Amino acid sequence: MIRLEKVQKTFGLGTAGEKTVIRNLDFEVEKGDFITVVGSNGAGKTTLFNLISGSIFPTQGKILIKGKEVTRDPEYKRAKAIGRIFQDPLAGTASNMTLEDNMMITSNKGFKWPKISLTRTMRQSFQEQVKQLEMGLESRLKENVNTLSGGQRQALTLLMTVTSNPDILLLDEHTAALDPRNAELVMALTKRFINEKGLTTLMVTHNMNHAIEFGNRLIMMDQGEIIIDVKQEAKKQLTKKRLIEMFSEIKKRDFENDEVLLTS
Amino acid sequence: MIEGIFVEGLIYSIMALGVFFTFRILDFPDLTVDGSFPMGAVVMAACLHQGVNPVTGLLLAFAGGVLAGVTTAEIHNRLKVPHLLAGILTMTMLYSVNIRILSNRANLPLLRVETVLTKIHAWSEGFISAEWASLIFFLLVVILIKKGLDLFFITDMGLMFGALGNNEQMVRTQGVNPAILKSIGVGLSNGLVALSGAFAAQYQGFADVNLGQGIVVSGLASVMLGEFLLRSNRISILTLRVVLGTILFKAIMYLGRYYGYYINMTPNDLKLIAGILIIISLAAANIRNKKEKNRS
Ligand SMILES: Nc1ncnc2c1ncn2[C@@H]1O[C@H](COP(=O)(O)OP(=O)(O)OP(=O)(O)O)[C@@H](O)[C@H]1O
Ligand SMILES: [Mg+2]
Repeated sequence: MIRLEKVQKTFGLGTAGEKTVIRNLDFEVEKGDFITVVGSNGAGKTTLFNLISGSIFPTQGKILIKGKEVTRDPEYKRAKAIGRIFQDPLAGTASNMTLEDNMMITSNKGFKWPKISLTRTMRQSFQEQVKQLEMGLESRLKENVNTLSGGQRQALTLLMTVTSNPDILLLDEHTAALDPRNAELVMALTKRFINEKGLTTLMVTHNMNHAIEFGNRLIMMDQGEIIIDVKQEAKKQLTKKRLIEMFSEIKKRDFENDEVLLTS
Repeated sequence: MIEGIFVEGLIYSIMALGVFFTFRILDFPDLTVDGSFPMGAVVMAACLHQGVNPVTGLLLAFAGGVLAGVTTAEIHNRLKVPHLLAGILTMTMLYSVNIRILSNRANLPLLRVETVLTKIHAWSEGFISAEWASLIFFLLVVILIKKGLDLFFITDMGLMFGALGNNEQMVRTQGVNPAILKSIGVGLSNGLVALSGAFAAQYQGFADVNLGQGIVVSGLASVMLGEFLLRSNRISILTLRVVLGTILFKAIMYLGRYYGYYINMTPNDLKLIAGILIIISLAAANIRNKKEKNRS
């Protein structure tokens, strides 16, 4: 579904602040995979998503989506295949427009012609859709999205993204900005939608429980590389304790490296 | 007299609808307006002097405005120039272009040629006065344009313009190139502005390349005045209040022009008044936003 071949991303190439954030990365995602992505701050998780969705281009290497090379295609050209949700609940919706306008905008991808699709049957189907969220939004379709809470907005974004039937779903800490109760709610919805639709998904999370509980594969990133890749059965065997151990091993190594630098 | 305020208000509201489109829907503060408004006027005047059918003249004026708007949007898109600078560039270039369109003149009277209005007056003569005929005509034109815009903004493309103004990322995520949307949007907006200029020239009886000075400010002041009249998130109300706001703005300007001398004001002070109106509107909107924040 997605293939990265020897992908490298360096920011500020040729300047004093040159920084390689993704290092010689080979990575393949199969159709139907649900991969949880963990790694410390600055490991390159968001950069990986930016590369896949095309909001930035790699310095080296190739990116293929559904077997087609898209390495230098701008974001809007590959957006048909990709549904992406950001940490910021404001990022996925248009604040000063109504719920139904927002749902209409995201209901199909690609260039829009001046024809009216927001009909009564469409509104009814939107109503049916938001009922699935069980947040009472079905009576608020004509209200602006900025009247919703962060959790409601993120749930709506999730719903809109999923119903546009992307081939690939990219979730970047999409519950991190929500309070614990709303975060669990949105997480439960996430799980339900992905299972129902069998969506190929990559989900960045800092929550180790979620990383263990969800998906059929787990990758851990560190300094622009995938350092741990656990699949299927091995993923099922993985415990939170073991994961945290692996995590602290990296931290320790970083710490030791720093010490080496300081003493030498 | 009072009809005059309404007629002018209606004519300029077509321009204000264009300003509303870029400033409020697209979030693309577009200054091309100061050049595309007189462009509409001079294209119309040139056409009428060439004996071109007035309706064709209106269409050409509209097309000229679209071209001007697309130029601004493309400068912004391709050269990554800020909106404001792109608009100023086009506006400045249009000044020369407009003089060329008038065959190297700065103005052209339209008293001896047949215009849309002389046609209507010839037809309505006998049962209503010329002023009333103009009023009814422009009322119909504005209703047509307003209704057209209301419909346009609920089409799939129209909604996308709203998304662009709110959240450009959302547009890209939908697989639409924001640059193309900007060109279409700013183009259509300036088409309306030029159409307004074409009507204004016919109503005033002359076209002048300086007609556009401060037009964008008066358009913005009209939009903001309208925002104080009605509150809603329905597009039909949003466009209605632009029209009402422009009429109110024209009324205030009219008062300034004819009764301003009581307080020692001259017509030259009107631009100052327009600017102050915007500043007051901005200040009032700030206070209102603060109050709302405190409440919630
Ligand atoms: N546009 C940019 N220019 C320069 N450096 C950048 C840029 N974007 C990201 N970086 C750097 O790349 C590194 C990886 O950032 P990235 O956002 O991918 O991390 P992350 O794994 O998502 O971290 P977090 O868990 O904090 O979200 C960071 O050190 C960051 O400072
Ligand atoms: Mg990140």
